[in-house]
Amino acid sequence: MSRPLSDHHTSPTSAERSRRPIPGSGLAKGLAVTLRTMMKKTVTEQYPEVQPDLPPRTRGVIGLFEENCTVCMLCARECPDWCIYIDSHKETVPPAAPGGRERSRNVLDRFAIDFSLCMYCGICIEVCPFDALFWSPEFEYAETDIRDLTHERDKLREWMWTVPAPPALDPGAEEPKEIAAARKAAEKLAAQQETAAAQPVAPSPPSATSPTGTEPHADEQARAAERPTRPMGGSQQQTDQPRQEDRE
Amino acid sequence: MTLAAAAGLSHTQGFLSPTGVEIAFLLVGLVTFGAAVVTVTTRQLVHAALWLVVALGGLAVEYLLLTAEFIAWVQVLIYVGSVVVLLLFGLMLTKAPIGRSPDADSGNRWAALAVAVASAAALVWVVVDAFRTTWIDLDGRAAGSTEVTGEALFQNWVLPFEALSVLLLAALVGAIVLSRKAKATPTSAASADATPTGPTPGNGTTTRTPTGAATPSRGTSDGPSPAPGGRSSASDGRSSASNGQPSPQEGAR
Amino acid sequence: MNDALDVALRLLVVFVVFLAFPLIVGQTEHKVMAHMQGRLGPMYAGGFHGWAQLVADGVKFAQKEDVVPAGADRRIFQLAPAVALLPYLLVLLAIPIGPGEGAVGQAVDAGIFFVLAVMGVGVLGSLMAGWASANKFSLLGGLRTAAQLLAYELPMLLAAASVAMAAGTVSLPGIVDAFQWWWLPWQIVGAIVFFVAGLAELQRPPFDMPVADSEIIFGAYTEYTGLRFALFLLAEYAGIVVLCGLTTVLFLGGWHGPWGADGLGWVWTLLKTAILAFVVIWLRVTYPRLREDQLQKLSWTLLVPLALAQIALTGVVKVVIQ
Repeated sequence: MSRPLSDHHTSPTSAERSRRPIPGSGLAKGLAVTLRTMMKKTVTEQYPEVQPDLPPRTRGVIGLFEENCTVCMLCARECPDWCIYIDSHKETVPPAAPGGRERSRNVLDRFAIDFSLCMYCGICIEVCPFDALFWSPEFEYAETDIRDLTHERDKLREWMWTVPAPPALDPGAEEPKEIAAARKAAEKLAAQQETAAAQPVAPSPPSATSPTGTEPHADEQARAAERPTRPMGGSQQQTDQPRQEDRE
Repeated sequence: MTLAAAAGLSHTQGFLSPTGVEIAFLLVGLVTFGAAVVTVTTRQLVHAALWLVVALGGLAVEYLLLTAEFIAWVQVLIYVGSVVVLLLFGLMLTKAPIGRSPDADSGNRWAALAVAVASAAALVWVVVDAFRTTWIDLDGRAAGSTEVTGEALFQNWVLPFEALSVLLLAALVGAIVLSRKAKATPTSAASADATPTGPTPGNGTTTRTPTGAATPSRGTSDGPSPAPGGRSSASDGRSSASNGQPSPQEGAR
Repeated sequence: MNDALDVALRLLVVFVVFLAFPLIVGQTEHKVMAHMQGRLGPMYAGGFHGWAQLVADGVKFAQKEDVVPAGADRRIFQLAPAVALLPYLLVLLAIPIGPGEGAVGQAVDAGIFFVLAVMGVGVLGSLMAGWASANKFSLLGGLRTAAQLLAYELPMLLAAASVAMAAGTVSLPGIVDAFQWWWLPWQIVGAIVFFVAGLAELQRPPFDMPVADSEIIFGAYTEYTGLRFALFLLAEYAGIVVLCGLTTVLFLGGWHGPWGADGLGWVWTLLKTAILAFVVIWLRVTYPRLREDQLQKLSWTLLVPLALAQIALTGVVKVVIQ
């Protein structure tokens, strides 16, 4: 028991022999490894009882935020296995101002993803120019019939509310463009206000209404790290705000 | 010896009741005898070995009934536990067909019967003659207990005992010598220990010794994945390789 | 009448131990093995940490169809599990767990011989199963079983003989009675040889070549299903209990312990047995399976010489202290 059993080293050189470990030390090491593992916490996830703690970018299912969809069909066309089905029709919208021109816009009739075909590549989410598609970590949507895996827009919309906030930027990361733009606007506004304080009152420019803009000279990067919420100043991403209440 | 001792036992007093021991002894004796007869008459090789287990076990029980406890357990240990296992091992290694083997009978049936009867008669006569007037005192220590056996063995009978030991040692050495000589031929004795599994793929037996180099070739001829012909063909292939193998280990026993 | 009651009670206790302890060892194996591999093991059956897993397994086995292969030797095939299992029940009868007459199923005069002889018989079950299954993998498993038994019975016997020499008796209670604490270092080599050889005889990993599932499926038990298969498994775990109990009695001093020598000796015996059972599981998880040639080499070139050396040492010390 106390001896290496392999006879690969039938004729070790003298140098090898001099630094050969104590016989049986390998066996003892093996025992130590298993004993140490036994003392450690196990890695088993007791899934049905305990929900798994999934990382924020988990590719569980694809959620649709309909309001952002313009039926540009990019997602359906880029999908490698053609699992996105989109129907739409055109509507004309009366002019916004009297005397203006009528606008036509696309109205979404059907948006379905066949998750029996989907290979979770995420290309649709990448190509969507209007941020209408998102990854949700939701994964418990198995069905007993493969045909039931084609999920329609209402289901996709439900999943939308499970999309988590994007993770905070790294502390050393470059400032997001939206925030930079807002900060510049705020700085300009502040400068204007300073000059306005010295001079008679001038109307404030309408562009600087965002909340970020009201905090001049704050350390933007540190704040971005502190607050996990998305930047708000004039960003398209504001559009997925509604789910904030539903999220844990 | 057993019969005479039993007679002595039952005429004085037994350790249960005389009739109880007598009846048990007789019944077990019948079973043992029956098993022994089946052992030599059955046409199924492995069944014969298993009936031998019954016969030897029955003998052990007879020893127990005669208060020879030590001998009984040694009987089980050596014969049932080792010799029969060796026998079965040899059978399975060479040829172990399920069902009857028509060639199991050697044709010397009557000669064998005569020899068996003659030797049995000689044994019975010798034992009866030797113990005719011996009476066993059952009030003292049990005559077959380990302590009594040990004392008798190492005080009165130590010389024969040692002579037997030397004899067995000689047999052992002889077996090793024989098997080493056989090592020059492909049936290497070194593989007797290492290759009961012969044709298993990748168990890499004995390739380190030059003499054992014959083993893998045998393995490949047998086929790492044995033919659908199944066990009989596989064990046939093995039989040529290991005919002489049980003998060194038998000597070691 | 009182005697009959006494005998019946003893048999009943031994039988209950025989049924319960292997299950406890099996459950411990489930859990210890799982945790040594970073898992949790069974968690559902019975509610609390899967304590009833083996009971559930038993129920499952009982429900399965009892299949006998068409080409098999029916009678021997069906008899084999009993032959494998019963010897361990008999051995359990002879293992003392405490001092005195009350703590052993049946005191056997030549205890060591009885125990080793009967344990050797158990292997016949595997041989019968391997041969009667009409399956080449089973036959290979049976052959390996036999080869392993032949190789490891000898060192086991020699190691046990050493301890019998030291104690001057072959009765198991007698050996424990004669035990002194310094026997532990004196007989340590014999103890290790005995334990390792016993593991090999039980075909426990890392000596599970006869049932090597990755190459010969499950050895001699390949064709078995249902209750008969369960009996083989039960035999394996009963074997663990017996081996650990025997090692405790022979080498670790049985009921001797620093405290609680009066009346609580059986606690010591059970504790030592449990620790040894843990070691059996621990070894199983830690080491990979030995190859067949390594297996034979270990026995003939290491264990047998070690056991002989232990006997020599025992003899020398015995003569010196007299």
